[in-house]
Amino acid sequence: MAHSLTSECTPLKLEYDSCFNSWFEGYLEPAVSAASSAEQRAKYSREKAQEYEQKCGKIWAAYRDCVQKAVKEKGLDDLLDQARRDNPLKEPPTTTISSSSSS
Amino acid sequence: MKFFSQSFLYDDPWSIVSLAFFLRYPNAYASHILSCDVISREFSPSGSLLTTRLILKRGALPRWFPQGIMSRAESWVVEESEVDPEGKVVRCRTRNLDHVKVMQVQESQVFRQTDEGQTLQTTEASIVSGFGWGLTKQIENHGLARFKRNVQRSREGVSLILNLIRQARMQPMTMTASYLSPTSASRYTAASPAADRHGNDVDASASEDDLRISRQDSWSPGPA
Repeated sequence: MAHSLTSECTPLKLEYDSCFNSWFEGYLEPAVSAASSAEQRAKYSREKAQEYEQKCGKIWAAYRDCVQKAVKEKGLDDLLDQARRDNPLKEPPTTTISSSSSS
Repeated sequence: MKFFSQSFLYDDPWSIVSLAFFLRYPNAYASHILSCDVISREFSPSGSLLTTRLILKRGALPRWFPQGIMSRAESWVVEESEVDPEGKVVRCRTRNLDHVKVMQVQESQVFRQTDEGQTLQTTEASIVSGFGWGLTKQIENHGLARFKRNVQRSREGVSLILNLIRQARMQPMTMTASYLSPTSASRYTAASPAADRHGNDVDASASEDDLRISRQDSWSPGPA
């Protein structure tokens, strides 16, 4: 079951997930095509972000605070920091892996 | 170090496959997922959605693994994803946070719309053990075999959610969008065999019999 990492946050997580899922479905099918001007696309992106904030912003803040507290209590923030230092996740993979099962 | 690379073609458009991928937990094939949380979510300057999830996975250690090394066969996994709805690309990177000395699995997944309106999923992974004691190779081999099996299971989970989306969209008046609800009972019903096989393997690089579907979980931080 995909609960939250702590049972206190699970009700907030479920409420947030429902809100996000509904918004996300529309976000994946943008009403502007890739052929529209950069300006139009930027405007659309801003509107989508605003819509998310308006619909899910409140429940996200509550859920995030709950999870952040739990992450700290379990000492997971150190693990996350360590992982980011060792190998920054934001960067794309540097090597292209082409073969399989080779040692 | 072991490498794994595989492509898979879904017949469905990118937006539906990507939705299923993000909504895949919980599902009947993911009983090993103990928890899944979004720990950060923001928009990039270009409007892409950047998400970090923290996932707790359960498993069992292989029988030959020395006792007393790991107190629990659970693993924290961090998943970072980027969704670009205009370019129709999802990029997702996953790796385990703990037990990294025993085994570090880094996985990279890309979902991209093809010119024909299908969705190409590319999975790449590296598996490294720094364990030593003459077990490094055995651990890496085990990790790779387990990874391959988990890729299959993970795909079945996505297919199950895909099926729910297809059904709901075909009958919008009579069915509620149960796939949007994280607590829907339909998520826990395994899909029929026919429904499982909606996509096509493009490059089945896993030629061994590791792709058998295993209901038994063994510890590996692989695809969550």
